[in-house]
Amino acid sequence: MSAQKQYGLLAEFVNTSSVLHAAEKVRNAGFRKWDVFTPFPIHGMDKAMGLKNSKVGWFSFIGGVTGYATGMLMIWWMNAVDYKILIGGKPNFSPFGAFPPSYEMTILLGAFGAIGGMLFLNRLPRLHHPLLKNKRFGGATHDKFYIVIETTDPKYSEAETRKLLEAAGSRHIEMVEE
Amino acid sequence: MSQQDDFSNDDPKLPLPLNLSKWRTLPVKLMIAGVLLAILGVGAHVMRHGGADLVKQFGYAWLVAFMFCLSLGLGSLFLVIVHHLFDAGWSVATRRTCEHLASLLFPTLFVLWLPIGILAPKLYEWMGPKLQANPDHALAAKEILFNYKGFYLISIACFAVWWWFTNRLKYWSIKQDTASEKGNPAKGFMRFLGVNQNDPGVLECTLQMRKFASFGVFFFAFSLTFGAIMWMKALHHQWFSTMYGVCYFAGSVWLTLATVYVITMIMDRQRILTEVLHEHQFYFLGSLLFAFTVFYAYVTFSQYFIIWNANMPEETFYYVIREHGTWFLVSMVIIFGHFFAPFLTLLRIDVKQNVTIMLPLAAWAWLMHFFDMAFQIWPYQYRAGFPILWAVVALGIISFMVGVLATVFLKMFNSAPPFPQKDPRLVEAMGLYHPVPTPISGGELGQAEEGTDHLIRPKTKGGH
Repeated sequence: MSAQKQYGLLAEFVNTSSVLHAAEKVRNAGFRKWDVFTPFPIHGMDKAMGLKNSKVGWFSFIGGVTGYATGMLMIWWMNAVDYKILIGGKPNFSPFGAFPPSYEMTILLGAFGAIGGMLFLNRLPRLHHPLLKNKRFGGATHDKFYIVIETTDPKYSEAETRKLLEAAGSRHIEMVEE
Repeated sequence: MSQQDDFSNDDPKLPLPLNLSKWRTLPVKLMIAGVLLAILGVGAHVMRHGGADLVKQFGYAWLVAFMFCLSLGLGSLFLVIVHHLFDAGWSVATRRTCEHLASLLFPTLFVLWLPIGILAPKLYEWMGPKLQANPDHALAAKEILFNYKGFYLISIACFAVWWWFTNRLKYWSIKQDTASEKGNPAKGFMRFLGVNQNDPGVLECTLQMRKFASFGVFFFAFSLTFGAIMWMKALHHQWFSTMYGVCYFAGSVWLTLATVYVITMIMDRQRILTEVLHEHQFYFLGSLLFAFTVFYAYVTFSQYFIIWNANMPEETFYYVIREHGTWFLVSMVIIFGHFFAPFLTLLRIDVKQNVTIMLPLAAWAWLMHFFDMAFQIWPYQYRAGFPILWAVVALGIISFMVGVLATVFLKMFNSAPPFPQKDPRLVEAMGLYHPVPTPISGGELGQAEEGTDHLIRPKTKGGH
């Protein structure tokens, strides 16, 4: 059997403030392919990790605009072009009458955009992740906090990165295999 | 605490406070400019159209300006009440501003209402001699409210309610600033009344404010609706809409949020609030402004849509009038300026904290609310379209009223600390995290004191 491919370095932290400050150090060191795993959200972690706003908003915006336009066009086509029926002396097409269904289409496709965009940006669904077979990593759903730096990061070098994580206050560091 | 305090007044990264000494006379200048503008507008009107119905037309301009300024008081009262109802933490920092603004409802705005009370028989067609002698069907059906006694009793009751709640909410808030930790709160009926006490204790003050907010919100909803119906909707006494009060409410809170945002921003720059603010407050205020942009559009569109769909002449005439002449353009200004422009601007998350966008947007909100009020009040009288000369007069009166309100506001502002000093939630407003139960959150009294070493201030300001 050939040697297992290495996925990244897993560093364990015991409390929120140590993982928050460690994340700041990793961010300042210029790493790109890394992540923090905690049992619950930590205030200020986005900034500590240097995360920008999620791009999901753009997907839901485009979904919403598409939904609104589709709704309006659909109702206009059906009521004013394809099969005209005069109801109560009202115009065959009016933006007011067509608004509620179009609005609902906005919400529907906006939600699809948000969910689809989220899955796409997170590269989900995926069937397996290297961290899942790590025994120690189970603590991420209990009382431990983890920083994982992937080996594919351009700044990565095993000795240096290990030193950085130790200096950041991790008591336990191990290599996770692919 | 070992961590560096990001929000300290001494932070060298903070922009320097502005020198506002030149702006001290601004309220007086606004008053003078307003009076001059109003005289100019009336003069121009007399030159072009003569002096017929001058007092009546001036009354409508005054009504537009009054309803505009009333929005600020009512919107602030709502923000104070809703702060207590939700037991909110973040809005502690802006609450004192809202309490002062709400206190403008009485007596200041009441005095500004008096001309409307005096001119009412001229302004409202249903109060005129013709309909009083010979009421039409709509007026006869609404006679239970729409009579002289009803009009004045409701008007006075509205101001009485506003006086009571703004006065009590502010009294207990300011009392808390100097209250002792435990205190000696009154018991029984005196406590129920919530009247003046010597040393009620910090906790009692919060509970009293919460009590007034709890039933105050019902009084608020009814009084605002009655005010909007009696003073604005009654211009079309034949018309009816259950959404009317809600529409005025939505626009009022929208205007107030924009105003509070700017006031808070100035106080932050002047380092008055800096210690108790963090980015979240601006983000939350911006989010609320966004929410009310949508809410206003939602209720006004619903009102229009239901009337459009039902297509009954006794309802549609209200909008038919508003589609004639330049009123159609004003309605477009409201659709695109009151909703679409702020909606699309505020859609992005970072805009809500961006001063260079929020400041012009707040000014824009003022302009749009003016058009909204004009669109509610004037069309019945000015069928041909938007009365530009009277709009100049109304802007003059608004300038005058804002000058008066600003003078009173600044006087109140100088008489009390700029934010609640001892509010149990102040720690949260400052961005500190307080994980232990407190007596306010329903925990035990003793636990609160032990918890102070758990205070964690995240070093970075971010996250939401």
